[in-house]
Amino acid sequence: MRFMMLMIPKGYEIAEPGTMPDAKAVAGMMKYNESLQQAGVLLALDGLHPPSMGARVSFPGGKPKVTDGPFSEAKEVVGGYWMIQVKSKEEAIEWAKRCPGSETEVIEVRQVQEMSDFPPDVAEAAAGFADLQAQSGQSKGS
Amino acid sequence: MRVMVLVKADENSEAGALPDEKTLTEMGKFNEELVRAGVMLAGEGIQASSKGARVRFGKGTKPTVFDGPFTEAKELIAGFWLWQVKSMEEAIEWLKRAPFQDTEVEIRPVFESTDFAPSDPTGELMAAEERLRAQSEQLNKAARR
Repeated sequence: MRFMMLMIPKGYEIAEPGTMPDAKAVAGMMKYNESLQQAGVLLALDGLHPPSMGARVSFPGGKPKVTDGPFSEAKEVVGGYWMIQVKSKEEAIEWAKRCPGSETEVIEVRQVQEMSDFPPDVAEAAAGFADLQAQSGQSKGS
Repeated sequence: MRVMVLVKADENSEAGALPDEKTLTEMGKFNEELVRAGVMLAGEGIQASSKGARVRFGKGTKPTVFDGPFTEAKELIAGFWLWQVKSMEEAIEWLKRAPFQDTEVEIRPVFESTDFAPSDPTGELMAAEERLRAQSEQLNKAARR
């Protein structure tokens, strides 16, 4: 089963555009990432630029409305994620606990939906999605 | 550039309700467009927070685990896409075409290893990350089979 570990760093909701992680923290995190890799559990990982460089689109009545970041009402925001493949929720939590997180950080562990979680009729309606995912691939950005 | 598009949870997704067939069909069409345009890199749905947990880190203390659901969290996530686009503007244009109703979706640019160049003069961090990604990619493909 796959789990997503969402890193929620307190204060990131008001971080300036162009804010970079501290080099020392990055080095510690890279060691942790490598340990996930060596255990064969790491599927994907990314860091997100602060919300001040992002945007939100709301759909009141189905009509899109764009709001530029930062988002004043947001109390917590995602700073990055890991996608891992493990045998249980307990194993996912154990991995989250090993992260060199600081006291301002929380990791939210969430299970990813698999096609097998859906009842047959929904699975059929969503059947194309697995093919789409296979086609899309995880190619590296530029 | 890559962007992450974060779809928020609502009462229905938190209750574990599955999207109806109409929503699935519309979203399926939108996903197809994204793939055909070469924009779609990944997309996943996330289970209700009642099936999840949070880990909080202390200073010099052991991490504390809290089981879901997280009723206090107003900004829970129910799914995400990873898109390859040329600009934030392009990402916004794509998102505006998505078949959503009365919800708010967030677009966030993703860090690329080149963003770290100023604090990585030897390129050592970048090389390590490239290795990590190449290996994860293979595992990811195997996991989807």
